[in-house]
Amino acid sequence: MGMVPALFSHYRRHPLQLMSLVLIIVLATGLWSGVWDLTRQARNSLAQSSRLLADRYQVQREDGAPVTVDDFVTLRRQGICVMPWLEVQRPAPQGRVIGIDPLSLNCLARDHPEQANRVKDELASPAVVDIHKAVTIAARGYDSRFQLWLADPSVQLPSGFRLSSGTSGLDTGDLADSFLLNLNALCVLVLLITALLVRSVYRLGLMQRRDSLSLLRRYGVESARIQRYLVVELLLVTTLSAVPGVLLGRLAARLFAGGFDQVMAGLFDTGLYAGSGGWVSALAALGVVVIVVLWGVADLLLPAYARLVRGRGVIRVSIMAAAVAIGLLMAADTLAWVFAGMVLLFAGVGLLTPRLLGAGLSRGAARSGSPLGQWSLQEMAVMMRQLALPAVALQFAVATVIAVQALVSTFEATFYGWLDQRLQGELYIQVPDNHRFRTVEPILASSDAVADWNTVIRGQARVGTITTDLLAVDPDSALVQAWQFQASVAKPWQALAKDGVMVNEQLARRQSVVVGQRLQLTVAGKDLARTVVGIYPDYGRPVGEIALPRSALPAGFQPDFASLAVALSATPGAGERLQTQLARAWQVDHLEVRDNNRVRELARQVFRQTFVLTRAISLLTLALSAVSLLLMGRVFFAGRLWYYQLLHVWGLSMGAIHRRLQWQAVGLTGLIALSALPLGIFMTWVLVARVNPLAFGWSLPMAVYPLFWLELIGLCAVIGLLIAWLSRRAVGDRPPAPVAVNRLDASER
Amino acid sequence: MTVSHANVWPIFLLVLLFIPAGCGPESTSSSNAGFAGLATRLAGDQNDQPDRPFRQPEPGDTIVLPRDLGPHPQYRIEWWYLTANLHTPDGQPLGLQWTQFRQALQARAPDKPPPPPSDWPLQSVWMADAALSFQGEHRFEEKLARGDIGQAGAQASPFAVWLDDWQLSTDSQGRWHLRVATGDWRYQLTLERQSPAVRHGDQGFSAKSPDGEGSMYFSYVDLRISGTVSVGNQSWPVAGEGWFDREWSSQFLKTGQQGWDWMGLHLASGAEVMAFRLRSGEQEFRSGTWISPTGDVTSLKTDELSLVPVGFRDTGQGRVPDRWRLEIPSKDLTYTVSAVPGVFWNQGLYPYWESPVRVSGSETGEGYIELTGYRGSSD
Repeated sequence: MGMVPALFSHYRRHPLQLMSLVLIIVLATGLWSGVWDLTRQARNSLAQSSRLLADRYQVQREDGAPVTVDDFVTLRRQGICVMPWLEVQRPAPQGRVIGIDPLSLNCLARDHPEQANRVKDELASPAVVDIHKAVTIAARGYDSRFQLWLADPSVQLPSGFRLSSGTSGLDTGDLADSFLLNLNALCVLVLLITALLVRSVYRLGLMQRRDSLSLLRRYGVESARIQRYLVVELLLVTTLSAVPGVLLGRLAARLFAGGFDQVMAGLFDTGLYAGSGGWVSALAALGVVVIVVLWGVADLLLPAYARLVRGRGVIRVSIMAAAVAIGLLMAADTLAWVFAGMVLLFAGVGLLTPRLLGAGLSRGAARSGSPLGQWSLQEMAVMMRQLALPAVALQFAVATVIAVQALVSTFEATFYGWLDQRLQGELYIQVPDNHRFRTVEPILASSDAVADWNTVIRGQARVGTITTDLLAVDPDSALVQAWQFQASVAKPWQALAKDGVMVNEQLARRQSVVVGQRLQLTVAGKDLARTVVGIYPDYGRPVGEIALPRSALPAGFQPDFASLAVALSATPGAGERLQTQLARAWQVDHLEVRDNNRVRELARQVFRQTFVLTRAISLLTLALSAVSLLLMGRVFFAGRLWYYQLLHVWGLSMGAIHRRLQWQAVGLTGLIALSALPLGIFMTWVLVARVNPLAFGWSLPMAVYPLFWLELIGLCAVIGLLIAWLSRRAVGDRPPAPVAVNRLDASER
Repeated sequence: MTVSHANVWPIFLLVLLFIPAGCGPESTSSSNAGFAGLATRLAGDQNDQPDRPFRQPEPGDTIVLPRDLGPHPQYRIEWWYLTANLHTPDGQPLGLQWTQFRQALQARAPDKPPPPPSDWPLQSVWMADAALSFQGEHRFEEKLARGDIGQAGAQASPFAVWLDDWQLSTDSQGRWHLRVATGDWRYQLTLERQSPAVRHGDQGFSAKSPDGEGSMYFSYVDLRISGTVSVGNQSWPVAGEGWFDREWSSQFLKTGQQGWDWMGLHLASGAEVMAFRLRSGEQEFRSGTWISPTGDVTSLKTDELSLVPVGFRDTGQGRVPDRWRLEIPSKDLTYTVSAVPGVFWNQGLYPYWESPVRVSGSETGEGYIELTGYRGSSD
């Protein structure tokens, strides 16, 4: 029998082991490459849109109506080099497309060659098409947005047109980038746990192969050669498993792309553009998995590496790493540094935890009065050392799940609370074109169907030089009185009506706006100076917004959207009655009406989609690490069978042995869960207070959920019980086997 | 006139956006196909094949005015072309040119309404060229636009041709006004027609090969022009004479034809001459029109005129014939036509040579030559 069949015969005897190895790698590669692919697409889309729109200005109509092809022609006929831009919001996986008119780039090439070259570079992308094609795609029922862009802001525009800055003034690109980094960081965690998992399974294999490998050595095969073959074998298994993993990832990315696109659109006002999956990136994802797996088992295969990682200075280094990490996490002002701090913290905590717990258990053993208790604690200390890696993996996973759950739950609670404040009233009635509120004000004031009402008018304004959204409301409406503010003057609504303006948190953070500050605003071409009287939370949107009383809107203001929020009276049929009255007043057949529940459901849907990926990854991490610990625990107890059987020989009943086994296994997983709590709480703080403002642009209050901790501790106990159950079967199965010398080594204790 | 060469980046855009792959069955084999050749390529490779074929001009077709000043959507290519030999009050010569092309990607019946502008249709591409040769400098500018949205177009009555802010329009007295403005030079001219349109060839059907292919072609050969030309902050009143061509077809250069040489000359006697030759290897196809001072028009066939380059100019971008001998034996006329000193490449999407010329020989005169297919020819 040659060397290769001899080595592979192991997997013939243990096909389940090979299968689990393959399955772990396939799933982990799938998840990793899928998320990687999505974030890569999103990053490309962001970069593409920023390249195309860099140094550009948007031409808008003074009357607020959307620009059209006729406006393009009017401006071009006056010699102004405007370019049309039609963005069709086709959902992923096909992705958005941008229609441009390559022929109209000619003037850009003359005056702004660098911009023309940038656009030219983008033409190779499937996301950029001729505008006629984009119109054809839009005609299939997709939303589209037509804009006119101008490269030179110094151009004198004819009357009826005005220039606005191309961006919303808040760099959503950075925010979106941070969000993507967030996802990638979670994926890196998944990869780390994968490495540990593979390590667990592989180590089990190596233990089982100890006999056959030493047989090979006795036949004269050099150790180095065996090592080389083992490395090649693992490389082969990993690569062969990672390939379908990458394909699975691609499939998952396509399936999730639609939701992800909506999330990006909802959170950052950007989406996935049509693109082609690059095979270079697939190969990169594959390469990363291979490297991670090899790294995970490096010390098992390469003795020199093993000596390095078990060095004595590890504790000192890990304490230093944790200290530096905490410093970084407190002081960092970019997300990259926050993540660097997190990685360092994890490394430090991961190295310290098994050592500290092991030392604590050994000390407990030394103090224990009963010999059996002493043995049990000492045995647990050994377990802690031997199972250090899967134990740490579980610790990380539990901590991550705690933190992500706290973040999402806090966000959810805050968001729903905010929705409840905002969504006052039962009906939202869109005001038809050209039909002003004034027409129906008397009806709303006198109708017995109406308990209270408010306006929701949306448009655009400028704060200094940046363009923001504008919300106009009636400050004296009862429907707005429940709003909560992050900062405000006393009686903010009265102050708003007088001379005030309110700003959302996003704008306040980015522009360092504080209450009491005087803001220079431009609304419908008219300059206004008003005092900031409140800063309100505005979740789920990236853009800055100001709120003004409706009475402060200049006469020429054209809303993008106008709606009535109406709280109906308790009289029967109030809704239908009011709709009939309004339709008659506006002389329209049909009113666009949305009820509160529908709006709320839409908002909740967006919210759920936003975090579905984050939650899925963190839960998967937990599941992976639980399986990892389960497998390793099983391996560990299999190696310790001899001791338990000895206890039986010494007279301990089988039942007592099983209870001891349970106690030890549950003790181990319980200790891990407890050690994960402080890390989880700290991570929660990092996510809420550090990552979230950097990634989304708004902050959240810090909240903890002890009940959820109990659930997790319970889950860890179940894992412990499972380990015990698996091992218990092995203990009872067979009489103690004689132990060969080659099965014992220095790591036994 | 035609134009040639296609290797600057706007063509890349066109190719990228409109052409899936390769060349169409009718495409010319030479890279000198030019704007006219491109028409074949684009149309031949369109995904959505035109619902009707392009119409080909043929002997017997006639020209109806003013209708034929307007566009011909059933044909593949057409142009409105002005050259002018002007002078400043102190006698400095100034040459200028303005051309607007329409290049159809899909044929459309003249009575069929165009698609709505909001569709951003792409049935035709328009291109406008303007050049100014003055004080030893040759300036050139080019614009592109899609048809049927209003950004570029032409109409017969009142006659107007426009692309962006460049436009030729007609006032209530029937005078034409041409306005062209670029980044640092511009001109504003008034053009007055002195005589009726001259129909070239057979009642306007101008053969372009011995096999009978051709184009519809007429000219206003003696326009009186006045106006203002500005370069930077300086302006000059100018006056002089001009030549205006209208031509349309669906296939211009045949496979194997490498380029063409065209000239339009104003002679001291008041006579005018148009002559061109299409080159294909050793063979060439010649044609011309003689317009007497009294307005009598004589069409000249291949064997009724000779057009021979007798001098060449090395330009760095190609060896250009800059001196020509034009002979019309039936009229016993021999002219030497010489390009004025300078380099007159129009560096647009399809670079071509276009320069003012002076005429000597049987009588003196001035005019313009337009030469395509010489770029890259060995110096």
